[in-house]
Amino acid sequence: MSQPAIRLEKLSKHFGLKRAVDDVSFEVQEGNTYGLIGPNGAGKTTTFSMMCGYLFPTAGTIRILGADPFEPGALKGKVGVLPQDAILPPQWPVGALLTYFGQLSGLSNAEAEAKRVLERVQLPETWSLYANQLSHGMAKRVSMAQALMGSPPVIFLDEPTAGLDPKIAASVRSIIRELKGNHTVVVSSHNLQELEELCDASAILDKGKLVSAATMADLTGRLAEFRVQIAKGEVPLFEVKAQSGVKDARLEANKVLCVTFDGQAVEPEEIITRVVGLLAQRNVLFTSVWLGKKLEEKVLQLT
Amino acid sequence: MQPRVTDLQEIGAVWRGETVRATRSGRVVVLLLLFMMFVGLSLTIVGFLSSQLSAKAEEQAKSAGVDLNDEKVKTQFNEGKKQFLSVVITDDEEMLDSLLALPVVLLFVFKLTLRFVPLLIALMGFDQLAGELGPKSIRFLVVRVKRTNLILGKFLSQVTIFAALLAVCTILMVVVARILNDDFAAKDVVIWTLRLLASSFVLAVAYLALTTLCSSIVKSGAVALVLNIMILFGIWALAFVGENFAFPGTVKADDGNLLALLRTESWAAYLQYFSVWHYGQDLLHPAPLRFAVAALVHLGFALVFLGLAQLALKKRDL
Repeated sequence: MSQPAIRLEKLSKHFGLKRAVDDVSFEVQEGNTYGLIGPNGAGKTTTFSMMCGYLFPTAGTIRILGADPFEPGALKGKVGVLPQDAILPPQWPVGALLTYFGQLSGLSNAEAEAKRVLERVQLPETWSLYANQLSHGMAKRVSMAQALMGSPPVIFLDEPTAGLDPKIAASVRSIIRELKGNHTVVVSSHNLQELEELCDASAILDKGKLVSAATMADLTGRLAEFRVQIAKGEVPLFEVKAQSGVKDARLEANKVLCVTFDGQAVEPEEIITRVVGLLAQRNVLFTSVWLGKKLEEKVLQLT
Repeated sequence: MQPRVTDLQEIGAVWRGETVRATRSGRVVVLLLLFMMFVGLSLTIVGFLSSQLSAKAEEQAKSAGVDLNDEKVKTQFNEGKKQFLSVVITDDEEMLDSLLALPVVLLFVFKLTLRFVPLLIALMGFDQLAGELGPKSIRFLVVRVKRTNLILGKFLSQVTIFAALLAVCTILMVVVARILNDDFAAKDVVIWTLRLLASSFVLAVAYLALTTLCSSIVKSGAVALVLNIMILFGIWALAFVGENFAFPGTVKADDGNLLALLRTESWAAYLQYFSVWHYGQDLLHPAPLRFAVAALVHLGFALVFLGLAQLALKKRDL
């Protein structure tokens, strides 16, 4: 079991009477990609901002790689942050700005590192452009580039793909995927499909409270259920339920067959193969099969 | 492996970056032009009035058959100048003697400039932190540098830029004064250039720190500027009120002094000690101790302002 890189304990943040974050606790394991999920106003960005040391908690503690982010200089070199609503200083050319950030981080090869991260976000041509000349998508990627400078062990990304076109968003997701294993990454996003694809675990927040914190497999029930989209035919529910390892089978709305199984006793691929084989034998036509519940469904159910 | 960076290196990196950014922006050029225009206008007005007065004095001396190069006449002229300065500048005898070597044009323009300096500083640095707090770009910085070092680096950058502006304008003033006054000896030119630079620099440090403080406590640059100007008026008002009342029990003791008799005794006289402006006068004092005390008081105020700025930024959500 890896060590927690990030630990939040009974974290609260009140703005006057409003409890933006209320008694939230969770851990992020080292090397994991972790999602912060929740509707607008759930407290994602507030939690995120406290982890980065921007907002002081009203109560509770945070540890990032064992350090208190509110200790002066505690996060230096350990953390890279893409803040959601921070605007790049407009009076700087991008290359000089990134080099400056590198120097502030104490990187000995700040200029080379600035060039490397700009290449990584596929924006080397912006080196001489002023920050206020960048489009929204470019500015977002330059902000992402500064978060990657010096390869910090912990990287916080707040809405990294918001407002990006699908192609650029895919390239950003690919960068996040590459970070997996070598960096602990916390991603806050409204794009649940993206988080489901990228994250090992997630915390779901609603109205400032933590409603769930678990691995993505547990959240989506990947090890406990699968679904089949039925196109045509009568589903033999009794026969499905009679399969060994199957705990339950039921038809949900829109002709979706949901099968719950004992993930400890049987491998998911084995049970899926047996059930879809049975359906084929009974002339039941289907269009797709997926493990677990879509994250979106789980979030909608919880919030 | 985490990079090991000392506080000094951090402050140095912020200072370098902010100084480069400031020199790249047009604001420094605009401020330099504004400063030079102010100095130029002051020189023109004061120089014109001074030359008119000199011409009249020469005309009167000529009609009275007085030789202006005569030592006795020169001494009388200096006495008259001292009396004039004692009314408008200071009644300190030692200081008056020292100011005799300085052309009146230069003295008046310099004094006017000092009044303008705190406003110019406010215009230059009002958004040094507020301009980062509003758009939250400060978030890119605080994960890299300590908030304390960020303030110090930005403050030192402002000090550097303002020192350069001050040097350009002070030298300009001295050069023009030298051109207008043949009797402004070369040795005096050098000494007074250094003294004017030192005094204006020390004075500026306190106001630079005040601007840093104002910029660290509000998120909007415009509000920071208004707050800064309001505090400046407060500082001037404290000095004005304090200096225009007599300390309790001093009027009788000084009953030979006409100016002291004109003033009313009041505890309000003590207010002057709370205004950094009050100590500015002694920055031109010829006595090293008086200068040192005034300089230390200015630095003390600067430290208090910077300390408060540190406190404000350290404790605030970003």
